[in-house]
Amino acid sequence: MKRRYLIRVVALNIAVWALALVWALPFVGILMISVMPYQEVITKGWLRIPSLDTLTLKNYIEALTNPLYDLATGFRNSVVVATVSTLIPLFAAALAAYAFANLDFRLKPLLFALIIALMMIPQQLIVVPLFFLYRSLGIYDTLQGMILLHSAWGIAWATFFLRNYLKFIPRSLIEAARVDGASDFKIFRRVVMPLAVPGLIAAAVLQFTWVWNDLFYALVFLVSRENQLVTQKVVTLKGEFHVDWGLLAAGSVITMSMPLILYVVFNKYFMKGVAGWGVKR
Amino acid sequence: MRGASIRLVDITKRFRSVVAVDRVNLEVDRGEFIVLLGPSGCGKTTTLRIIAGLETPDEGRVYIGDVDVTDLEPGERDVAMVFQDYAIYPHMTVFDNIAFPLTVKARKLRLTKKDIEERVVRVAKMLGIDHLLDRKATQLSGGQQQRVAVARALVREPKVWLMDEPLSNLDALIRLQVRAELKKLQKDLGITTVYVTHDQTEALSLADRIAVMNKGRVIQLGPPQEIYDDPKHVFVATFVGTPPMNIIECRVGEVVECPGLKRRLPGDRLKGLNKVYLGIRPEYMEVVDEKEGDLEGVVYVVEPLGSERIINVRIDDTLIKVRTTQELTLQPGDRIYLRVNWKKAVFFDPSTEQALGKLLAATS
Amino acid sequence: MALSRGLRPALFLSFPLSLIAVFVLYPMVATVFYSFYDKETGSFSLNNYIDVLLSAHPLYMLVAQSFGPTPPWGALIHNLVWVALHVPLVTLLGLVLAFLLKYYVKGSTLVKAILFLGIVIPPAVGGLIIRFMFDNVVGVAPTVFSYLGVEELSKTWTAYPQTALFALILGSVWIWSGFAVTIFSAALESIPKSHVEAAKVFGASMWHIFSRVIVPQLKPAVIIVVVMTVLWDMKIFDIVYASTGGGPGGSTNVLALVMYTYFARALDFYKSAAVAVLLTLIAAPFIALVVRWLRE
Repeated sequence: MKRRYLIRVVALNIAVWALALVWALPFVGILMISVMPYQEVITKGWLRIPSLDTLTLKNYIEALTNPLYDLATGFRNSVVVATVSTLIPLFAAALAAYAFANLDFRLKPLLFALIIALMMIPQQLIVVPLFFLYRSLGIYDTLQGMILLHSAWGIAWATFFLRNYLKFIPRSLIEAARVDGASDFKIFRRVVMPLAVPGLIAAAVLQFTWVWNDLFYALVFLVSRENQLVTQKVVTLKGEFHVDWGLLAAGSVITMSMPLILYVVFNKYFMKGVAGWGVKR
Repeated sequence: MRGASIRLVDITKRFRSVVAVDRVNLEVDRGEFIVLLGPSGCGKTTTLRIIAGLETPDEGRVYIGDVDVTDLEPGERDVAMVFQDYAIYPHMTVFDNIAFPLTVKARKLRLTKKDIEERVVRVAKMLGIDHLLDRKATQLSGGQQQRVAVARALVREPKVWLMDEPLSNLDALIRLQVRAELKKLQKDLGITTVYVTHDQTEALSLADRIAVMNKGRVIQLGPPQEIYDDPKHVFVATFVGTPPMNIIECRVGEVVECPGLKRRLPGDRLKGLNKVYLGIRPEYMEVVDEKEGDLEGVVYVVEPLGSERIINVRIDDTLIKVRTTQELTLQPGDRIYLRVNWKKAVFFDPSTEQALGKLLAATS
Repeated sequence: MALSRGLRPALFLSFPLSLIAVFVLYPMVATVFYSFYDKETGSFSLNNYIDVLLSAHPLYMLVAQSFGPTPPWGALIHNLVWVALHVPLVTLLGLVLAFLLKYYVKGSTLVKAILFLGIVIPPAVGGLIIRFMFDNVVGVAPTVFSYLGVEELSKTWTAYPQTALFALILGSVWIWSGFAVTIFSAALESIPKSHVEAAKVFGASMWHIFSRVIVPQLKPAVIIVVVMTVLWDMKIFDIVYASTGGGPGGSTNVLALVMYTYFARALDFYKSAAVAVLLTLIAAPFIALVVRWLRE
């Protein structure tokens, strides 16, 4: 009996691991193609140990510096937009989350439901009026405009996320501080926020990734070459008729490098952040 | 430090459709240790939180030292509270935890850093935790955390001390120790203390007076001995005491007839009732010979407790408990005869469950 | 006395809420208004909606006039097909994998990390990768099928209307499964080990444990995965834009992309608003479900 069970477990392990390898295959492929000369890819395929003497960074240099593609500018812009669009909402959402988690006010349930609903609506629903508004305010095609938009959007979901996180802080800690005479702002600063650091990091990491990965808003609100973000630039690498796979692969690696680095460093926070969506408190 | 008096006038608090606190009136003297005792959901914690200002009553007023504090924030009432889970800030050191109430109000109270340090060290010494001041709060044991919570409550020298089941998270052994120390501390400092618990042993040992609560009402208020020997309600009689008071249903006619009772009791004071409850605590009965016995029954099971034993006795279809230090060898099924200490017996009206008084005349 | 109880929430909420009001609430409402504005007559009517729903142009078609055996069927239909295929695949795969990873497979953290990569990368790059994987020269899928001897599927999937949509849908399974596995894995943590052990002692088979003990207790998690996946499928844009741009011949068009095409190519802002409203209306019941669920 035991032997049959063991065989089955081993088979399952192999199956799942094979699946994992298949899952990772596209990444391997992209990486390979980005550093191999295209001729080699066609004649010998990419699923092999590369011959070290033919490896080249030509594609990367091309993608980054060629003014047609200019991923370097895109990368820089994305860093700026994503960073500022993370700091602003995090600060604002921390305040709002504290209010929703620890203060009582009559409109609370209504406002909270509103925030949840706003989190989920399609991006397409808000761009047309903002397009007009931005044009008249002169912030169309600016990084500032993007930052404002992403910040507002980020506040909605970060408030929801952080409020749920703050709910885990025992009520008695806050009540003890109230009985001892601390004002709400003191409690926010000295009791709640220090304990909320893991939640803040998770929210920051998720928000940064979300902003970095966005394509739609970038397409709508940024047009000139100097202002475009890396995601919208990388899709231009795919030609209409002929695809330069090496170039495309390099561009892809460049574009996903930032979220991947964050993922490797902050792995735990990513997983916990997403998992929080499914588990009810 | 002298405490302030507390007065609750007609306090009512509702949560949706549930009345958690039902027209509670309470007067606590300065320096008194009063315990709110009752099962969970009886309203004792809510009452405490109303005194603290963490809940606002729907009706009624709260007075601390003759000042109407009902509309004041918790931080303005000069009360200190110890929570059931201690509420120690995990990210701060013990020193910062104890100093917190002072640092938060430093400017208002005109305290310098040195003042704060002095007071914190003084209080820490009083509780024997001055050697822990640099530790992070998470590195302490349960008992140590509890002392930090108490120290934090003392450092402000408040007028009123509020405690919400502060000992329930401690191991049994430490609990007894801390209980005794808490009582001594309160007596030395003279701070008015309101203490909430569901543990009646704790209540009996700590309180100057106990307020027994059930379903949002104060059923009985009095010193521990009175609560114990003079319960005014079946609820109080059975909630207090381990094991609880035995309640035996008896018929009332010319005389009172109780199951297993070999004597007749005068029924003249019980006019107008068909039935009555006879209440007698397990320790107020003795195992005797057939000749001297008042009650007769059959042994159901014996629970040895070391120096005492609890004998479960079946009388007709009632089961009563007897607690005695007598060393006996009894088997289930043996006939047993009990002598009742009639001075300690209490009668209750079955319909209202209220006490009718003691049986004063011991019959012979 | 410090600030009155009423003012305190206002202090914490005024900045966040005002930003939301300007950049989310106002545009939402304004979009609805714009959707009714008929550019040609300068009045408010349902004309935009009618035009948008009845359009037969492959780039803008929401519902096809007639349905052949293969796409294009209209963007709206494509979204629905996407939901119909993607949601069950992802949910089942997520359940099975989460179950196996928790109870039977070693090194599950690494496997989960690999699966999760799909939602870490920009969906735009995801679209490029899908285009790559289904290319008959450098990609994997066509090669596999040519070994299996299936002629039709050894071409570049995204170049032919019969296969393009399905390439994207399968690719989105690759992208999105990590989400399902993560949610289900977290939900599995709350099932006490003793439940599974008791079942083993009773002699239940692995399948029994999975279907009778585990899955029934995961119902809330299944709901959240299904609803979130449906919403994601309805709103899908980046993947399509990056890989096929909606083609060939509109056979991979989706609602969000049609909205964008009206906006950026036809410069018909009002019709694009109408499409955005339609998209939201279809997603609305699911949004309502999420709101109810998350409100506790």
